[in-house]
Amino acid sequence: MQSVTTHALRRDFGHLRAVDDLDLDLPSGGVIALVGPNGSGKSTLIRMILGLIRPTSGEATVLGRSIHDPSQYAADVGALIESPAFVPALSARKNLLSLSRLRRLPDTRVDEVLETVGLTGRDEEAVKRFSLGMKQRLGIAAALLPDPQLLILDEPTNGLDPAGIVEIRGLLRQLADEGRTVVVSSHLLSELEAISDYIVVIRFGEVMFSGPMSALLAQTQAHIDLACEHPNDAPQLRSALSSQGWTVQNTPTGLRVKASAQAGAQLNRAAADAGITLNAISFAQDSLEDIFLAMTGDSDADLAQDRAQVVAR
Amino acid sequence: MIGVIRSELLRLTRPRLLITWFALMGLFALMINSVMFSTASSQAQMPATGPGVMFPDAATLAGAGGAFAGLSAAASMFGVVTLSFWAIAVATDYSTGLVRLLVSAQPHRWKLLAGKTVALAMLTALATTVAMIVSVAAAWPSASASGISTDLWGTDLVAQAGSAWLNAYLSMLVWGVAGVVLAVVTRSSAVAISIGVGYVLVVESVLREMLDSASWLLGTTINALAAGGTSDLSYSTALGLSVVYVVIGLVIATVVVNRRDVTD
Repeated sequence: MQSVTTHALRRDFGHLRAVDDLDLDLPSGGVIALVGPNGSGKSTLIRMILGLIRPTSGEATVLGRSIHDPSQYAADVGALIESPAFVPALSARKNLLSLSRLRRLPDTRVDEVLETVGLTGRDEEAVKRFSLGMKQRLGIAAALLPDPQLLILDEPTNGLDPAGIVEIRGLLRQLADEGRTVVVSSHLLSELEAISDYIVVIRFGEVMFSGPMSALLAQTQAHIDLACEHPNDAPQLRSALSSQGWTVQNTPTGLRVKASAQAGAQLNRAAADAGITLNAISFAQDSLEDIFLAMTGDSDADLAQDRAQVVAR
Repeated sequence: MIGVIRSELLRLTRPRLLITWFALMGLFALMINSVMFSTASSQAQMPATGPGVMFPDAATLAGAGGAFAGLSAAASMFGVVTLSFWAIAVATDYSTGLVRLLVSAQPHRWKLLAGKTVALAMLTALATTVAMIVSVAAAWPSASASGISTDLWGTDLVAQAGSAWLNAYLSMLVWGVAGVVLAVVTRSSAVAISIGVGYVLVVESVLREMLDSASWLLGTTINALAAGGTSDLSYSTALGLSVVYVVIGLVIATVVVNRRDVTD
């Protein structure tokens, strides 16, 4: 069974189409990365899955049950949506107790999730005294309360220090290894690359890619970065290499040539033939970030401009 | 439903919130008794149904229910306090974003609204009791200082206390529901309270001046309910109208809560 399926799922906000006839099949189990630029429709999709907003049209199921009746699956889904939301004057424990009672869970469940996220000992403090990282941990604890089959986390490592990020990464992996489906929406692509089994890339409310992370990373291209001893030589080297059929682009530190590692010596000779001395030759593979930028555009500003054009059309 | 109520009670029983609420109720009870008895004894001209107050005469204060007259006299003041705290309790869920967690945990949104209303009604019973205790405690010295007889105050004490408490409580519930409706619609406690206070102090007074027979207006109806009926509006009519207002208010709030996207 798929954890989440959508068919022609659409959501309009006035003239703006946030989710556009989305067809999606998310597998059960494992960590699923949900990525896309700001305003791409990720949050709208998550809110529809959780029953916070209703679709304009289309169908979707969560754990095999229709999103038109979220009460059918609410007990099996936990979520951290955007920033963690709690009553600031109440302690962490009372905030969690309030949520566990809402779900008719035993009070002992609160102790379990506090221990899981490492907040035992700080649980009697008022949430208003918590750092952003501690609030984030508390948000994850709240999401874990129902011992969910499907866990949806929006920017779970936001505000955490490096040690906290590693810890939460381990926790998410552990939760997935226990058989849960963990959907993570984040802008920290390197984090997602490290822990995700499956990835969905969304832009303008449409799926750009949906499949195993390994399949996406297989699309990566190798390249060689060249740095000239004298930076002023870069344009001359670029034209020399281009004339030999290499695909070359400028980088802040020199040139990037689409080529495998074996081509290093060949490029070095070409530079020498052009009378240019290279300072460095380094081989690299595109990262998830490179692929993401290639798929979705360069920046949020570009995206906003593109989106304005789409809406205008 | 029980789970929702228990959850709400845990969040609402914050010491600072309750102390502020109950202290304001007690303060208004104290103030109204002091002013009410001195006004009655000096036979000063006060508006019979001015904004926020409804003073009885000296004869009524000397009657069997005189010790509890402060509760009905300050019905609108207690009402505004109640409206404010109910509105804060509802709007805070939106302003903190907590509503996202609540709705994803309990998708039957009407249950969230009903649970909060029941929890607030339970706390309002406590607030009414606090107001009554302070009001009665202040009535004796105020009556003594104003030269108003208290000889009949012990007569039929339980029935008098019971009906005064019940009428005050029912009137506060109607104000509270008004606070819920305003908070649900505006999603802002400040805006909701401003509208509520503005209505009590300004709008209803203006409407009373404009309309020939305006005893059915919300504030007038609730005042009549708190007073156990007035010359303009009998108790049963006030009770019936109050039920209509409450039902209309809860239907509006439920429809808005059910239909609106949770984007906060």
